[in-house]
Amino acid sequence: MRIIYETSDGGVAVIVPTPEYLLTHTMEEVAAKDVPAGANYEIVEDSVVPSDRTFRGAWTWA
Amino acid sequence: MATIINADTSDGLKLTSDTSGQIDLQSAGSTKATIDTSGNLKFNSGFGSVGTAYGCRAWINFNGTGTLAIRDSGNVSSVTDNAVGKYTVNFATNMPDINYSVSGIAQDTVSGSSSNSPSVTIQDATSSTTTSTLTINVITGNGQSFIDSPIANVQIIR
Repeated sequence: MRIIYETSDGGVAVIVPTPEYLLTHTMEEVAAKDVPAGANYEIVEDSVVPSDRTFRGAWTWA
Repeated sequence: MATIINADTSDGLKLTSDTSGQIDLQSAGSTKATIDTSGNLKFNSGFGSVGTAYGCRAWINFNGTGTLAIRDSGNVSSVTDNAVGKYTVNFATNMPDINYSVSGIAQDTVSGSSSNSPSVTIQDATSSTTTSTLTINVITGNGQSFIDSPIANVQIIR
């Protein structure tokens, strides 16, 4: 699972939790701690995030 | 004085205690390690004398290519993929202040090309180091672009 959120410049950041932290915390707790305050975010499956990073800078929040 | 646990060469284990709050580990009457009243762990272990051990307070090894993958870590809750070669390391437990020391290294992306030998740097912004996060860049050896490295390592000492 990943957490995606809208950055202040309209782009998208992807939060990848560490396996060690997920042993004792939930994705919701990771989001509460590591997503910047006020940012729109969503918890998604790994497959939602593209592996092709050729146009990584062009990713936008939709 | 201190509470002393001494592995004596003639009498075996000897325990001497007081109310100072410090603990000394001794071998043949010579102090080899100490936990002082501030909780500082001090040991010799090749220093030549008993000195404070400064710990690695956070570390991570991740693959920044494709879909970012974390191999292993310590005291890191997550890594934020901000863009190509741009990441934020989020600490599980905050640092006591922002005066920590950072080191990092990343794997080359093109064999035999020095211009692609990457460097790990702290991002050029005042907000790059906080008590809860560290924002880094991985850049090409010639400094001309950001790159995703298959092995990116960061350690924080405090």
